[in-house]
Amino acid sequence: MNLANSKQLETAPDPAPARTAETAAPIIVSKGLTVGYKLHRERKKLTALRDITLSVNRGEFVVLVGPSGCGKTTFINAISGLVEPWEGSIEVSGKPVTGPGPDRSMVFQDYALMPWRTVESNIRMPFEFQNLGLSKQEIDDRVSNCLELVDLTGFEKSFPYELSGGMKQRVGIARALVIQPDILLADEPFAAIDAMTREAMQSELEQIVTRTGQTVVFITHSIDEAIALADRVVVISFRPGRIKEVVDINLPRPRFEYDVKMLPEYSELREHIWRLVKDEALQSARGV
Amino acid sequence: MSLIEESNTGSGTENPEAGRIQDTAWSLNEVWIRYGSWAVTACNLTIFFCLWEIFARSGAVNPLFLPSASDMFAALWNGLTTSAPPGAVISGSIRDHLFYSLSNLGIGLAIACVIGVPAGLLMGGNRYVETILSPYVWALASLPRIALVPLFILFLGFTVKMQITIITLSAVFPIIINSWAGVKTTEKSLLAAARVFGASRRELYTKVVLPYTLPFIIAGIQQGIGRGLIGVIIAEIFGGSRGLGYLVNRSADTFNSALMYAVLFLLVVVSLSLIQITRWLEAYVAPWRRINTL
Repeated sequence: MNLANSKQLETAPDPAPARTAETAAPIIVSKGLTVGYKLHRERKKLTALRDITLSVNRGEFVVLVGPSGCGKTTFINAISGLVEPWEGSIEVSGKPVTGPGPDRSMVFQDYALMPWRTVESNIRMPFEFQNLGLSKQEIDDRVSNCLELVDLTGFEKSFPYELSGGMKQRVGIARALVIQPDILLADEPFAAIDAMTREAMQSELEQIVTRTGQTVVFITHSIDEAIALADRVVVISFRPGRIKEVVDINLPRPRFEYDVKMLPEYSELREHIWRLVKDEALQSARGV
Repeated sequence: MSLIEESNTGSGTENPEAGRIQDTAWSLNEVWIRYGSWAVTACNLTIFFCLWEIFARSGAVNPLFLPSASDMFAALWNGLTTSAPPGAVISGSIRDHLFYSLSNLGIGLAIACVIGVPAGLLMGGNRYVETILSPYVWALASLPRIALVPLFILFLGFTVKMQITIITLSAVFPIIINSWAGVKTTEKSLLAAARVFGASRRELYTKVVLPYTLPFIIAGIQQGIGRGLIGVIIAEIFGGSRGLGYLVNRSADTFNSALMYAVLFLLVVVSLSLIQITRWLEAYVAPWRRINTL
């Protein structure tokens, strides 16, 4: 198994040349970003993220790892424009983020599909809210292409409650991809999906974004998932979240195909990231 | 990865999706699971009325207190198919009084919806409106509506207006409170999703909050029907010369127990039918909630 894989490694061409070629152009630039929430009832402010300085390059797949409550979600909310920075700045394509825009879209942990809309109508929803200057025909084509992309052809008229968790999240992914955003934000999208389906979906996501060249910022609790997907893993410390370390993942893609879990580097990376996360996770579990 | 291949090859000759959703015939067992409860209910009720008939005819109780089931059904049938002759002890047949009560209930419910739904939505959507209105809503919702009847008789006399006011007041609060709760409990992630995809504030209300709240509104109307029917009967028993409430009162006064039981039975049927209609409506507009409820 291992042998076969390493042999494949030698003969296979560089699987994702685009990813390394364009590293010069950062698309998301966060400088000294501090964000938090007001707790109205207690007259307190909670700093979720402190002093985050990070730039993400165009076409890069960045995965944020950290314990619960470390502010990972806050970071992608800041990129999406759902929350405003308290201090510091966040820029997308050179412009400060002032609100949501069609260049960014998000996949949610609990799918966030409108239960009263069919699969097709859910995927079409982004076009109802923003005019991207597409004709009706172009929109129809994009919707049906996205349905095909996530393997849901035939389920257009189904409602979300009739689908399994994995299928619901495929709808969520299709809805995010249909506007062809530059940046795909994903907030633990596979956390509620069973382990087998999750691995398959990770591989599908990897291939989709490799093909479309989207920049991805992805949140997970799972170190395995992080290594399976990321170009860079950003480890964030417990509240208030700070960047603890950025780990480059130089494993060949597509990773599911190469069975990277069998490579010796894999366990080294896993060990390394686990050491970084361990103390934070313990702190988070104690609720300090 | 099959995804990529499929989307690349595009329209293949065979469609692998065709086999995924298929029509299947029902086995006898599935038919039983689906319709068995109806059969059981039908037998159950038949047995109930037969036992009632036997018990009433055995002479164990005074027929004034318990008429036989057949007498009750005869009175019901008679009252629904004929009009009372002029100068009868009780003016008007069941049919006339039923129409009167139902039309009052309809008008009262319509007013309650017109007031209650917007009020509930505003309370859910605007913190100031909520703060200002909520003490009144809670105070009036918790006040037993029957206590207000003398007040409205004082204001409006023994009139249809008084009856409709009481029906409206009975029905409006569950509608307000449910609509309000629907807006307040709209899932945050749905709102976040709509915002991420560019929904304006207005669209958040029309395309997320409102559809999410719709089943709550219908649940409110469902409760409103139950409360409104109580309002109908209270208003008619206290002050009125028409309607089913009057008929119950009057038939008891004239010792016509078969008629009284017939009206009570009819009230059950009317109430259940109206509530069933709202259940179907709820299942139709919000099929995703059906699997979570009974």
